[in-house]
Amino acid sequence: MISIEVNNRQIEAHEGEMLLPALRRAGVDVPTLCHMEHLTPTGACRLCVVEVEGGRGGLVPSCAFPVQAGMKVRTHSARAIRARKTIVELLLSNHPDDCLYCARNNDCQLQELAAQLGVRQRRYRGAKTAHKLDVSSPAIVRDPAKCILCGRCVRVCEEIQGVGAIDFIGRGSSTMVGTAFDQGLNVSSCVTCGQCIMVCPTGALREHSSTKEVMAALHDPDRHVVIQHAPSISVSLGEEFNIAPGVDVDGAMVTALRRLGFDRVFDTSFAADLTIMEEASELAHRLAHGGKLPMFTSCSPGWIKFIETFYPQFIENLSTCKSPQQMLGAVIKSVYAEQQGIDPAKIFSVSVMPCVAKKFEASRPEFSRNGVPDVDAVLSTRELARIIRMRGLDLARLEPDTADTPFGQRTAAGKLFGATGGVMEAAVRTAHYLLTGRELTDMQVQPVRGLAGVKEASVNINGRTINVAVASGLGNARVLLDQIAQGRKDLHFIEFMTCPGGCIAGGGQPRTANRDAIKARMHALYKIDQDAPLRASHRNESVQRLYSEYLGQPLGHRSHELLHTHYHLREVLR
Amino acid sequence: MNAPHDKPIILVADDDEDFLTQLRMQLEAAGYLPQTAQTLDDARRIFDSQTIDLAIIDLMMEQQDGGFTLCYFLRKHDPHVPIILVSAVASETGLRFDAATDEERSWVKADVFLAKPIRFEQLHAEIQRLTGPYSRRVTWS
Repeated sequence: MISIEVNNRQIEAHEGEMLLPALRRAGVDVPTLCHMEHLTPTGACRLCVVEVEGGRGGLVPSCAFPVQAGMKVRTHSARAIRARKTIVELLLSNHPDDCLYCARNNDCQLQELAAQLGVRQRRYRGAKTAHKLDVSSPAIVRDPAKCILCGRCVRVCEEIQGVGAIDFIGRGSSTMVGTAFDQGLNVSSCVTCGQCIMVCPTGALREHSSTKEVMAALHDPDRHVVIQHAPSISVSLGEEFNIAPGVDVDGAMVTALRRLGFDRVFDTSFAADLTIMEEASELAHRLAHGGKLPMFTSCSPGWIKFIETFYPQFIENLSTCKSPQQMLGAVIKSVYAEQQGIDPAKIFSVSVMPCVAKKFEASRPEFSRNGVPDVDAVLSTRELARIIRMRGLDLARLEPDTADTPFGQRTAAGKLFGATGGVMEAAVRTAHYLLTGRELTDMQVQPVRGLAGVKEASVNINGRTINVAVASGLGNARVLLDQIAQGRKDLHFIEFMTCPGGCIAGGGQPRTANRDAIKARMHALYKIDQDAPLRASHRNESVQRLYSEYLGQPLGHRSHELLHTHYHLREVLR
Repeated sequence: MNAPHDKPIILVADDDEDFLTQLRMQLEAAGYLPQTAQTLDDARRIFDSQTIDLAIIDLMMEQQDGGFTLCYFLRKHDPHVPIILVSAVASETGLRFDAATDEERSWVKADVFLAKPIRFEQLHAEIQRLTGPYSRRVTWS
């Protein structure tokens, strides 16, 4: 450790580290629009300039300037503040002046900095950027006119997700962030994960909103509007209403959904239990009959598009199970419609997901039958919060309610789907039971828990060792896929989730979350599991009844028709 | 609809010859009979001369709002014909149109609005939805 002087007080710093992390640890707040933790600094925005005395001195970008023993730093000198203000003024000089109409109004870091630095008059007037608005993707809207070229989206797409669908194109003042050949995201290699939205400081990236369709359906007396909510929503939605991260608001959320006018409220965790029944059976079948191994999970639509685009040689490794969203969507428009005597075309099926790739998934032709989509509209957690606020409801003040039967009953295993490792943990619990007839003695599969990017474990089932792995974040997925491509053969079953940390950190979640908030969401799911009376999917009575009354057996004929699908090589521009 | 043994006829109107050629090939491969038009007049002539099962219309043709006019014309003469409006209008002008609600569909005179560039699988899913047995398309005169 070395000591440096910051604003006339001594702080400790690690030798060789950059100034910005040392300042942050000491509680000194220096703004930045381009910095990303754990990634190499780019020094692109220059907002983190601080004044260093002596030596080369002057204004330096603290994110990219290494600490030196004895250095003297002034983070908020008049010169540093003036420089920051000028940078913001220059960024605003060609920025569209439509804050009131912008999806990120009051949630924009550029707007926040302008207010913080006291920008109250326009000193610089630049020609407004007239880049193309891209609304072609069913998941993400890209508005490069609002882009400040900080490069965060490019880096998350390339360095975290290993996709590289967007990059800097053009030169000098014509530089912009765009897709290959500047075509729309819709035909690019974008996997629609939405991690770019999570890091964008302005309104340049946002979800393709479906609130209009949902509100119209809710006001249409001819429509029977049903909603399902994903496992991770109840532990993150509260944050949009100033409730601490990790508080489970399941009951209040169900009340809010009823007040909004949804005719039925179902829980996607029910379908997660159903997925496990099918997926664990599929794994057992592949193990017993020499099927394609390792088997890959198929719940995460960004991951599916990633495989179709970048690793089509592994398509057969994917489980044929639909995702829980699509399983429940299919069950609602078939079993539920039949039971209730409702024309499936009159049902408007909505899902609220922590994800924007689910919007893409719902629009896939594989998930329509007779031209009727199984899921009509997908809302992100953020969009649901907007609708709840629009209705004038405060989640913190609502009495809790419970989801509707029969597709509202869930086990804790289904709820675990919301975090990385959760699908694996649920699958191991049920696979063990299916193969041995006995429950696991310790339900908690500790090695697959936590936020590590790649996790591995071995499970002994009936004397046979089953090697499993878990990867979250597509960059981490690449690591495992490349190992398998190079001949690794010991793994039997792998869970892949598109977003780092899983759905709790999905591209549709509240944007304010830091790593601590994501950990809190994860621990909330673990707490739900720990306290639950039912912790294994095969214990879900509603799922068992669905089998006995309608589906027959897992992997049976009706299950295949409703709950399974297949994927294809995807040609994209890249 | 035409007789079941016939291929469904799809009118495709777009002034972009490349788009038209590409879409014609894709629609033919998918089992449809596309009738292509590069101008509004050609599109009207095709519509007048035969019964079509669905129309795919580009918004900005000879006139910036030519697609709207054509949709209006089609709907006026056949309130039941399903229409998919396609356009790069958002990227070219920054203006956004939607046909997401009944209200929007009633003034756009189209059932679906798709922003270019479009994936064929996406277009095909919409065609199947609008021509399928459970089509819940609302029609206006």
